[in-house]
Amino acid sequence: MKVVGQELPRVEILEKVTGQSVFGADVRLASPLLVGKILGSPHAHARIKNIDTRKAEKLPGVKAVITARDFPPVKFGRFIQDEEYFARDKVRLVGDKVAAVAAVDEETAEEALRLIRVDYEVLPAVIDGLEAMCEDAPLIHEDCERYWAAGLVQGRKGNILYHKQSLHGDIERGFREADRVFEHRFFAPMVHQTYIEPHTVLARVDASGRATVWIPTQAQFFIRQSIADIFQWPLIKVRVIPTEIGGGFGGKMLPTVEPAAVALAQKSGMPVQIVMSRAEDFQTANPRHPCHMRYKTGVKRDGTIVAREIELVFGTGAFCGNGLVIGQRAEMLATGPYRIPNVKIDLFCVYTNHANCGPYRAPAGPQLAFGSEQQIDIIARELNLDPVELRLKNAIEEGDTTPAAGGPLKDVHAKETLRKAAEAAAWGAKPREKNRGRGIALGYWLVGGMASSSGVKLNEDGTVSVLTGVVDLSGTVTSLGQIVAEVLGVDLEDVHIRTADSDFAPHSTISAGSQGLRSMGTAAKLAAEEVKKQIAEVAADKLEAEAGDLVVEGKRVYVRGTKEKGLTLAQVAQLSMTHKRGPIVSVQSAAQFSNQPAFSVHVADVEVEPETGQVKVLRYVAAQDVGTAINPLSARGQIQGSVIQGLGQALSEACVFKNGKMLNPTFLDYKIFSSLDAPRVEVHLVEHAAEGGPFGAKGIGEPSIVPVPAAVANAIYDAVGARLFELPLSAEKILLALQETGKGR
Amino acid sequence: MKTTKKRISVTVNGESYEREIAPAKSLLDFLRTDLNLTGTKEGCGEGECGACAVIMDGRLVDSCLILAVEADGQSIQTVEGVSRNGRLHPLQNAFAEKGAAQCGYCTPGMIMAAKNLLDHNPAPTSEQVLNAIAGNLCRCTGYGTIVDAILAAAKER
Repeated sequence: MKVVGQELPRVEILEKVTGQSVFGADVRLASPLLVGKILGSPHAHARIKNIDTRKAEKLPGVKAVITARDFPPVKFGRFIQDEEYFARDKVRLVGDKVAAVAAVDEETAEEALRLIRVDYEVLPAVIDGLEAMCEDAPLIHEDCERYWAAGLVQGRKGNILYHKQSLHGDIERGFREADRVFEHRFFAPMVHQTYIEPHTVLARVDASGRATVWIPTQAQFFIRQSIADIFQWPLIKVRVIPTEIGGGFGGKMLPTVEPAAVALAQKSGMPVQIVMSRAEDFQTANPRHPCHMRYKTGVKRDGTIVAREIELVFGTGAFCGNGLVIGQRAEMLATGPYRIPNVKIDLFCVYTNHANCGPYRAPAGPQLAFGSEQQIDIIARELNLDPVELRLKNAIEEGDTTPAAGGPLKDVHAKETLRKAAEAAAWGAKPREKNRGRGIALGYWLVGGMASSSGVKLNEDGTVSVLTGVVDLSGTVTSLGQIVAEVLGVDLEDVHIRTADSDFAPHSTISAGSQGLRSMGTAAKLAAEEVKKQIAEVAADKLEAEAGDLVVEGKRVYVRGTKEKGLTLAQVAQLSMTHKRGPIVSVQSAAQFSNQPAFSVHVADVEVEPETGQVKVLRYVAAQDVGTAINPLSARGQIQGSVIQGLGQALSEACVFKNGKMLNPTFLDYKIFSSLDAPRVEVHLVEHAAEGGPFGAKGIGEPSIVPVPAAVANAIYDAVGARLFELPLSAEKILLALQETGKGR
Repeated sequence: MKTTKKRISVTVNGESYEREIAPAKSLLDFLRTDLNLTGTKEGCGEGECGACAVIMDGRLVDSCLILAVEADGQSIQTVEGVSRNGRLHPLQNAFAEKGAAQCGYCTPGMIMAAKNLLDHNPAPTSEQVLNAIAGNLCRCTGYGTIVDAILAAAKER
């Protein structure tokens, strides 16, 4: 292969390094923009008695004020229709939208918000998922069971919006047959995706009533649907134009400020821009679900796992949102990638008085691995087995499956990835230095994909244009270009590829779930192959040959064996204009696909300072099963970045609440890793062309974060004997654990 | 409510500008709205992320923390002024080649921090590079490729 597998710079990289890329807040229109601001609730749970906006409306410079009264009185939601865009009778989280204004400048907009008077009757709030399940917990939705719900929703009761129990094998017999049974509870708190670009929108409603929305989004077709649902509009009344996106990590898929901007633009007759402040983004955009876990595992003396009972409680926030997607994912991943004959999983999604949680890179993955992979480590130590050997003994192989994964799995490389990481990190030759330790964890992920389509056309100069609606985050678009270039025998520079908007792009999948490359890549490859056929068809007539005898490569087409005689692609493109088939272009579709497993094994070396509990990551090795790496530069880059994000989750990140208000909504207090915290990440790719992916590619972006918190927790235990069951693994918790074990000073 | 505007004159990327502005306007806001130089980004508005970093009279500053009136009479360099006459700066080439930009939102600030380093220290060590970009948060790359790019650009110059 000439282009696939090459380390090529991103196609749009020069715009990025020169400041020319247009991100959400960079969009400019000919007419002046109004500044939109949202008034959020100061209370986590309260009844709204009255909203008085009269003073704000009279303030000079204010062009529109909106509340729930400006929206149709319907609830929306993909799985449960429990959500109101603006709070009507009740607020359910700090920052729940109560009103919004559009004004000529920021100062005036802020002054207008201060003039809006809202009378609340404050209600008791519940923030923690386990507390929300208690009988006497305040009810967040009084009539939850009466809301419309999709068929898969089950077990609604009180604040529980979803409870599913699944049984595999005979769990009781499994525990009876076990020699040892281990039971632990773990907790992973809410964390935030913390893209550097905050949520931003620019909306305009034209004279015909049609809305155009410029947003940095990972899911332009989702957002289009959500806006139409909230306004009860026909879908096509909304046009979403995706801008460059300054990071998403799952956090830019659900509607946040977009409908408010549309409503303000409609009411004022002017374009409206809303840029979330960092604090608003932390407090109200859709962060990661906090998760309580209970793992009970039965093993034979030789380390064979015979039973696993798992209870998971996800706090979804004030609404269901896409909580059920997280729930279904969790069910698939809960056991870890192990052969376990007897399994029981209880999965709860629970309403809580905080922001509606949403997807974050490998939803549920790092939380569950933190529980599961730490317990595997505990078991190995208790049974005096090597943690790598214990995993190798139980890991799934080709044709095995795990609960809810949907049947036998193909392209399973768990064991090879384990061996590769262990070898790269010199697992067997562990240095024994005081306060230093090494930990390993096996990450399991399943990549499914939604239907996608993509177009390819041959331009008159022999270059190629690719039409896609997928938004680029970390190189997908470049990889699509490489796939198309490979098929058509041209260089990447000859392929022009940029993201088109919801009016004009063929339906494209979301830029999330590690599926962009596989879904879109498959569609683009099919379209390129069809274009190649058309090239041969047009050239065959001119060259007086059979289409089947033609070779398309090196920007030319020729009859096999007579390389010097053929046509350039430019000549073919021009010929097509007078040929009976017409211009050369194709749009092709890729159907949705079922789960494909991907594995990542990480080995962390840490040093713990016993006086302070501070952890330093000394070395980090990541091996990952990637199928074929279409662009190894991007693949390694994604994995490195993912690990550093995971280290933040492991060591420093958590949203801290008091009475439902986030106490640390700034970069100063919510500590993501800086250059001074981040170790070098050594990446080792395990490459085996996988079935179904374009040129054998697998999804990369998510599996790479799954094992990070577990690997670090295991390394900390190895270093100083402190076992921590709650994230983040802060210095304070380590110090307390050391004091308890008598090892602290 | 309305305050008197102040007149300032600044040089940005070699061009001089005179503008009347509200005294509370930040340099970031001035660059982005008054001069339409949108390469400089806002990530937090509180000087914590470095996305808005620019060079002001040879010093790296977070433009969200500087009032535009403080920039009166000063010379500012933004990401738009790093390449000259259509020729990319070695840092820009190195960022492209090493894959040092993923989403690219932190990139303008990162490049300004790196340029400020190389302007003062043409042959930095890795540790000096890590320190120089410590005020610039990146959520995509994990920093390794950025450090590689800055070191490669230093060799190139």
